[in-house]
Amino acid sequence: MGQPERARQSLGRADRPGERPPEQAILAAAVDFARTLRSFGLSTSVDSEHVFFSALAEVDLRDRHEVYWAAHATFVHNPDERKAFDVIFERLWGGQPLVLPERSAEHGESDPRMGGPQHGGEALPQYRHEGKSKAALDGGLKNQATRDIPSAEGEEAGANKQLGVLAAWSATETISEKSRLDYANDELAALRQLAEDIKRAAPERQSRRTRPARGGDRLDVRRTVRGSLATDGEAFRLAYTAPRPRPRRLLFLCDVSGSMERYSRVLLASLKAAVGAARKAEAFVFATRLTRLTHSLDGRDLERALEQARASVPDWSGGTRIGQTLAEFNRGFGRRGFARGAIVLIVSDGWDRGDPQTLAGEVRRLQLQARRLVWINPRPMMIDEQPLAIGMRAAMPYIDEFVPGHDPRAVAGLGRLIATLGNERPHRRTLASAPARGPAAAPAGASA
Amino acid sequence: MPGFSSIGELTSALGRQRYLTDEGLGTVLFLALRLRKPLLVEGEPGVGKTELAKALSAAAGAPLIRLQCYEGIDVHHALYDWDYPRQLLQLRAGGSAPLYSEEFLIRRPLLEALAQPGSVLLIDELDRADDEFEAFLLEFLSDFQVTIPEVGVMRAEVPPTVIITSNRTRDLHEALKRRCLYHWIDHPDLKREVAIARARLPEVGERLAHQVCAFVQDLRWLDLYRSPGVGETLDWAEAFHTLGRDHIDPATADRTLGTLLKERDDLDRIRGKGLEGLVDQAAERANQLRGEGASGGAA
Repeated sequence: MGQPERARQSLGRADRPGERPPEQAILAAAVDFARTLRSFGLSTSVDSEHVFFSALAEVDLRDRHEVYWAAHATFVHNPDERKAFDVIFERLWGGQPLVLPERSAEHGESDPRMGGPQHGGEALPQYRHEGKSKAALDGGLKNQATRDIPSAEGEEAGANKQLGVLAAWSATETISEKSRLDYANDELAALRQLAEDIKRAAPERQSRRTRPARGGDRLDVRRTVRGSLATDGEAFRLAYTAPRPRPRRLLFLCDVSGSMERYSRVLLASLKAAVGAARKAEAFVFATRLTRLTHSLDGRDLERALEQARASVPDWSGGTRIGQTLAEFNRGFGRRGFARGAIVLIVSDGWDRGDPQTLAGEVRRLQLQARRLVWINPRPMMIDEQPLAIGMRAAMPYIDEFVPGHDPRAVAGLGRLIATLGNERPHRRTLASAPARGPAAAPAGASA
Repeated sequence: MPGFSSIGELTSALGRQRYLTDEGLGTVLFLALRLRKPLLVEGEPGVGKTELAKALSAAAGAPLIRLQCYEGIDVHHALYDWDYPRQLLQLRAGGSAPLYSEEFLIRRPLLEALAQPGSVLLIDELDRADDEFEAFLLEFLSDFQVTIPEVGVMRAEVPPTVIITSNRTRDLHEALKRRCLYHWIDHPDLKREVAIARARLPEVGERLAHQVCAFVQDLRWLDLYRSPGVGETLDWAEAFHTLGRDHIDPATADRTLGTLLKERDDLDRIRGKGLEGLVDQAAERANQLRGEGASGGAA
């Protein structure tokens, strides 16, 4: 077959041709391979390098499939990583040098899971999020200067076809779209306050775990008996337990198309500050595609996700496809139970270019899973006149709380509401009795 | 656990248990056994993650110990508990046996797995348990020993083969993943699914099996809310067989569709698309495949 020769060569060549004993060469190739994977964003460790090396001793090195699966089992921890892995494995097996990419990987754009410039995707401008540019997150327009200027590739691309992406940030465009981009300070302040309220409110749910409780309602046999052993089996004192409360999951689905980006950014940035890692919170941003902020509201993650969202939007001015995005969510994460029993907050202006029926259907689906479905809309006054808001109108019957985001009082009210949610179930019409409300129905609460 | 000396031996042993693996899963499982590493399998519901552990234990002739995870599971459900009622009785009866000895220890699955040499330990749907439990498990999986304060350290003579499944409702800790080998099980392709159906349901005719699988394979491309898994394919084939059909027809398909699709939206959508078309399409593909199989067999 010629396979054996090739395999040995390639494993050897991946390192560097030399007169080393074969184990050394294989070990070096394995380590190189792991390092390359790491530089592409997969999480590998010395441990997994070691496991891979011992796995290689167990499989037939001449068999491509066996080596592939050995490496796959040790280095891939997540289905999203498979694509990147395949590319790099192809190089290893093909005997191509495993070139380490430059450290630009720090910003994440050389990650092949994301359409970075090296992988046929489009170059993206980068924004720094640490330190002073935090102001850019919040302050926006006035602080354009602190924006990190995109790398050379980014500029080049930005000069022509990336115009759409940069437009969302360029000062000239901003002025012409002022009416949409302008959020009053008190709106943003209310949003930050909301994040603060959510932190304090910490809606809870009962878990199946119990804790010892003096006033509990269930007898704790274990502790009672244990205590009675000291008194010759006479149970003098009864011990009780009560369910342990757990934080209820909060799920944010934030629109970041067009003008919504700044609003969502402020919300997510303040949430990050307020919520921290201890609270159960998951956030997704979308424009036309859904992107998960994996490490719950990690700042760097937010930047990546926003870049991805920017890249996926062909046109910033015309609204987004909320219905499709929610469908994507419902089919993927929703099926895995992300929204089950959670408080779901959709942050969007509701300008939807898709089919209004799709949007309504998906919102209904999401509502069935969620404990409470909240929609925060910073531009509610346009719902009635804006043709793109048909979908929003169609979805209204399936929203538990509609919060006009331009009204600081309404946003503050939401904070209070979340605090009081507790275990109470929302009053909803049952499926059978839900009246077929057409798109023309006036959105309740929008006129507030 | 008897050693399997090669990947081929392992997969054919699993095949005899009517569990058909592909090359990837076979290799990874073999490595997990040889390297004594836990195997973490993830995949869509219904691709046979749990079944894998059952088949492995049957193939190796090793006892299967299953720990079903759920929210709120804790040490007393997973590891050990004391038999308090018996302790009390002993105390009241004035017995002299020490109360905290193995006699009064109730072994829960994890401890049981340590006690039974060479067992297969299935930790099912780990993502349902809380993070704290996962952290606890970490310790267990790295040393295969546990400390019971009253008794001492209990260690496995032969560490169990551990298979962990997860449905990805949440991400498992990196630290846990690092200790495991990982495999993602995909839905089987048409050929493999037919083979599975034939192996699992020998009474179902070859023509029907082909058609049912072809139909289901088409459904999986349709981006449904809940794509049917292999288990549902088998149910559906069995439904046809029970109704005395040896091929699929639109009318019976319509009546039995509920064994396959369990979301109203999906049912509506498939019925709206027209079952006749889908059935015809599936029958055609099934014929093709059977033709290929026949000519391949002849060659």
